[in-house]
Amino acid sequence: MMSSTAMIWSGLPTLCRGMGISLLLVASSLSAGLLLGVPLGVAHVYAPRIVRMPLWIFDQIFRGFPTIVLLFLVYFGVGSLPSVSIQPIVAVILVLGLRSAAYQAQIYRGALEMIDRGQSEAARALGFTLTRTIVSILIPQAARYALPSLSNEYSILLKDTALAFTVGVIDLMSRAKFLAMRSRETLIVYLLVAAIYFVLTHGGIALFRAVERGVAIPGIGPQRARRQL
Amino acid sequence: MSLVSLFLDSAPQLGHGLLVTLRLILVAAPLGLVLGLLCGLSCVYGNRLLRTLAFAYQLSFRGVPLIVLLFILYYGLPHIGIRLTPFAAATLGFALCSGAYHSEYVRGAILSVPDGQMDAGRSIGMSTRQTVFHIILPQVFRKALPGCGNEIVYLIKYSSLAYLVTLVDLTGQARLIANASFRFFETFFIVGLIYVALVSLATSLLQLLERRLRLPT
Repeated sequence: MMSSTAMIWSGLPTLCRGMGISLLLVASSLSAGLLLGVPLGVAHVYAPRIVRMPLWIFDQIFRGFPTIVLLFLVYFGVGSLPSVSIQPIVAVILVLGLRSAAYQAQIYRGALEMIDRGQSEAARALGFTLTRTIVSILIPQAARYALPSLSNEYSILLKDTALAFTVGVIDLMSRAKFLAMRSRETLIVYLLVAAIYFVLTHGGIALFRAVERGVAIPGIGPQRARRQL
Repeated sequence: MSLVSLFLDSAPQLGHGLLVTLRLILVAAPLGLVLGLLCGLSCVYGNRLLRTLAFAYQLSFRGVPLIVLLFILYYGLPHIGIRLTPFAAATLGFALCSGAYHSEYVRGAILSVPDGQMDAGRSIGMSTRQTVFHIILPQVFRKALPGCGNEIVYLIKYSSLAYLVTLVDLTGQARLIANASFRFFETFFIVGLIYVALVSLATSLLQLLERRLRLPT
């Protein structure tokens, strides 16, 4: 009979594997949100009203529904339709990716609106086309404004991935539940998991901050980013 | 069976769940606000010990997912002999978590009040405490309101996690209804809409409050 401490020690590798899955979930949803969020953010600012109406509905659903309700909606709801089968991990990435896209669209909209009008006027006066202006003048500046909020989005997303276990993904939380049940050391195991998430959250934020400092241009972009988690 | 008849059939059950969810929010939100206010004040005006404690609380509770916190409170604490009811564990977890976020907004708001306000209060003979309560805090409430309001909106949505510590709230009822009727998509969609309605209601109330409190400039 193994002591519970030994059992926790021997459970660490499986926790690490679960952590790998959690990080995979964060990385893929964050990038899915980026790919979809940038065009959505541009659409929020520039698209005609007829496009913004369906956008509003998308926004209400993905920002207004609780994450767990969205997960159940997609995994149990869409998954129970005939001829549709959906892997738990796909459901989670789909939900968190679309959710993050909705939030990131707001971030990019705000960032685009923060840039001085004179910037695009100056570019046009120099003979840049509109596309060239957006790509070479506006987006590089907007990206710098968006970075602080993006690190905030990372930390929210990481914490939301902890819900993946509710639809059966074997992530950090589900490994922890199993280990807690087996070793009966619920408190220690969950405190350990809390510590892991703590390190991942603050480590990731520090990374984002380093990037922010690396790409900062004195005099342009956010001068002193307001820190929030 | 259409969406409407499903809604009508499950209305009593959804109503029960909604009541539980509302009770959770109405208990946890004020608790969280008080906690956030105390912690924010300690961050700025506290002595070294209080400041360290407040920062440690902020940092740790914002770095850990709410669900992990709920699991510690509900499944972990019985290990050292503390047994909480699902409702107590959920409200405590919500309050602790949102308090940590509130405190950051409160701290930011306090720091954004110009130093001259404190100097002016002191120079007309008020004590530091009096100045904080009568001069600084009324301004802080107004400045922190948008952020704190946002946090309350988050709390409404994350109250759905109470279901994971066995509390049958709105989300819990949705699971029960869906499992019994096999109408998963419709049930979760309806419940999602109820959350959207709650969020919209809270947002408009907060906007109303913001407008009422706004000072003429």
